[in-house]
Amino acid sequence: MSDDEFVRMENITKTFPGVVANDDVSLSLQRGEIHGLLGENGAGKSTLMKILYGLYSADEGEIWLDGDRLDMESPQDAIDAGIGMVHQHFKLIPRLSVSENIILGKREPAAAFKPGTEGDGGLRSALTNNSLLQGLATRFTLGRDEPEAEIQQLADDYGFDLDVTASVWELGVGERQRVEILKALYRDVDLLILDEPTAVLTPTQAQRLFETLRRLTDEGLTVIIITHKLDEIKDVTDRVTVLRDGENIGTVKTSEHTSDDFARMMVGRDVLFQLEKESVSTGGSVIEVSDLHADDDRGIEAVSGVDLTINEGEIVGLAGVSGNGQKELAETLVGARDTTAGSIEVNDTDVTNSRSRKFIENGVSFVPEDRHEDGCAGTLSIMHNAAMKAYTDTEFSDGLRLNYGAMREYAETLVEEFDVRGVDDVRNINAGELSGGNLQKLILAREMLREPDLLVANQPTRGVDVGAIEFIRERLLEQRQAGTGILLLSEDLDEIFDLSDRILVIYDGQIVHETTPEAATRRRIGLKMNGAKQAEQSAKVAADGGSSDR
Amino acid sequence: MKLNVDLTPRTEVPRWMRYGAPVFTILAALLVSSFALIALGVNPGEAYYVMFVQTLTTEFGLTNTIAKAVPLIFAGLAVYLPLKAQLWNIGAEGQLFLGAIAGTWIGLSVSLPMYALLPLMFLGGGLAGAAWVAIPALLRAKLGINEIITTLLFVFVAAQVKNYLVRGPLQSPTANFPQSSQLPAAAQLPDIPVLGYPAGILLAIVLVAVTYLVINYTRLGYEITFIGANDKAAEHAGMSKFKIYLLVLLSGGAMAGFAGVSELAGVQGRLRASFAPGYGFTAIPIALLGRNGAVQVMLAALFFAVIFVGGSSIQTLLGVPSAIVDIMQALIILFLITSEFFKQYSVAITLQEGADAGAPAKPEGEV
Repeated sequence: MSDDEFVRMENITKTFPGVVANDDVSLSLQRGEIHGLLGENGAGKSTLMKILYGLYSADEGEIWLDGDRLDMESPQDAIDAGIGMVHQHFKLIPRLSVSENIILGKREPAAAFKPGTEGDGGLRSALTNNSLLQGLATRFTLGRDEPEAEIQQLADDYGFDLDVTASVWELGVGERQRVEILKALYRDVDLLILDEPTAVLTPTQAQRLFETLRRLTDEGLTVIIITHKLDEIKDVTDRVTVLRDGENIGTVKTSEHTSDDFARMMVGRDVLFQLEKESVSTGGSVIEVSDLHADDDRGIEAVSGVDLTINEGEIVGLAGVSGNGQKELAETLVGARDTTAGSIEVNDTDVTNSRSRKFIENGVSFVPEDRHEDGCAGTLSIMHNAAMKAYTDTEFSDGLRLNYGAMREYAETLVEEFDVRGVDDVRNINAGELSGGNLQKLILAREMLREPDLLVANQPTRGVDVGAIEFIRERLLEQRQAGTGILLLSEDLDEIFDLSDRILVIYDGQIVHETTPEAATRRRIGLKMNGAKQAEQSAKVAADGGSSDR
Repeated sequence: MKLNVDLTPRTEVPRWMRYGAPVFTILAALLVSSFALIALGVNPGEAYYVMFVQTLTTEFGLTNTIAKAVPLIFAGLAVYLPLKAQLWNIGAEGQLFLGAIAGTWIGLSVSLPMYALLPLMFLGGGLAGAAWVAIPALLRAKLGINEIITTLLFVFVAAQVKNYLVRGPLQSPTANFPQSSQLPAAAQLPDIPVLGYPAGILLAIVLVAVTYLVINYTRLGYEITFIGANDKAAEHAGMSKFKIYLLVLLSGGAMAGFAGVSELAGVQGRLRASFAPGYGFTAIPIALLGRNGAVQVMLAALFFAVIFVGGSSIQTLLGVPSAIVDIMQALIILFLITSEFFKQYSVAITLQEGADAGAPAKPEGEV
């Protein structure tokens, strides 16, 4: 098998002040395999991959690629060696277009200087074939049209639904991820590292991505996937390496093990996946939304006429492909975004276009999609962040002064109740220092312990480890038990199916489908998420086979 | 052998570093400045002795230091308060001009006893300073227009307004120079009885205390801090960015106005065309040195007052150009930026042996 060996990381050790991120980890990859890297948050997966990509240098250990020892100073060396990486946090320049982001750093002369293809005159082809002029053109001009077409072609080939001329800031998280993957593919990599690639994709898209990856591995590409999702590991990988606390627990063949085995290796104990969902009698409505319209950050309508009612004690799951207006819808429901038309009533109070404070006072809680950007102030203490929604309560404030003693106690309660780890003093640890899962627990604690009437949770378990996912889902169900109406936005269909009482599907800013988990099938939901209304109709009418297979 | 420099972003700034950085900044600036002093043929030890020890131990030096420190403290707060909400009031100098103009006008045209006239001058100066920053503040709060540029550009407008007034409406009828009449005695800041230090320091201390209390103990202070840390999350929490931005900038403008009045009524005594103390700009490094709190701002202002007064002393006593003070100021800013960098990244420098090419060891088998 050493003939097939493509990459070998040997005895890698990397320490950060106070933490051993990787402790004598060895990893061997075979050419053409899809290798899963599994582990809880903080297990050292990302660090190991950053070392492989030249972002960190290992304290000890060696990396061999194709029989050559790699001595990497920077990602440039990794790129030169044919290693590409798609990060969990995207490295894109928002102001530039998709194709500009992709060709960044590559040299491409303007079309006019390209060696003559059409035989349209001796002078022009003489000029364009002049090597000096070519050199100058490559250095000082930048052709956009040609790579643009090429990249669009590439995107279409892989079934990425992307307009490569759009600026990156206009794109949703899911679309940005696709740009990142495309960027690596465009650079002809031999080894592609994907850090949680499917976190923002729908199951259908994830399947399509996996098909793409398989096609690429057939052609000799080697892929490493970092993921938390065990079923994906089962689906797509050939072999899996499990890390725990910076140590390699073992590398195994995927086909020989079950998801439960992997979960046990990862956490070190048995994990409960099947949630007990008790029946709750739903009460009156907590929020009524009619004909809601809202724009996105670009000023383009993202929510187009949504009618929605959520009752006490029910979880409504909202499924949809990233970028179909769910982020905007969630934000309007909590007062963080203005509506352009329609009305929102919370507990029979009209709060349309009120400030978010009014929503909060009316018992609306919100777990935003981006915890760092919208959910907390990373440079402030846990105490500051814990009181973010409640600081105006009489418990903490008489209107002028703020009772920091009470705030501290409150923060300690949150930390304890929701098992936020890594906190010795809520005043000294900043929110930004918590790991993803623990920060999410803190945010959930803040939003839930206020005993809200309505909780809007956008991707509550994205990017957190299985232990925390289990905990968060249980808490959501408990909250439902307590009579809170919950709108759950998730790109993880399993989560929607496991937790929801009703399922709504959003497509292009509209609710296109309503069902229950019992009545629905994944396939059908997946189709609806991709706008299958037209597809079904056109299939029925069998008139124009336009957009059928989307 | 190769030199390896490893930069790792810090997730956490060590406590000692947060408080040690300003001290390091000052010491490093003094150390590098001593090369300039040596180049001038002056013993740095002697120069620093005159600058710091003599300034702080003589009656004359102390009085002067406090007189200088008063407007610097006000101006420092004028930058510090908006900075708490992550706004940069670069134009404190302009707001300071407006404060001085309003103070001059009130002092010359209102006839009241001192205990009423001086508060009225400070009130007017504060309002004028706040009014001057109101346009940039509104543009920032309402439309998101960068306050760094607008507040700075407003300095030049303010300077021209001042230049016009001292040649026109406010010009002394008895003088040919572009300057106002001397303020009446009732409009000049007295000394503290018995101690003999300029009375403006009392107001400065009160305002530092008020700022400290507001930031650390009130709901408003919490909102300001939160918006400064993450304005998007703050808006999700129902805080009004519009209100806070307006409030911190207007208060900052008022503080700068106080700086103008205190310089006018405490030091200069009349408004001249050359009235441009530059305190509004010195306030920026002051606020940066003291960004951990209002008391630190006061300490930083006192430090700058010492090097200003000490700078003139070494000029007279040792014949060193007072430009050395500018050098120090510039170095302090440079080292501030440097320490900011070290706060954000941990740097590891290692020497690495050349790559040793050995045969690849046996690959690990599957587990």
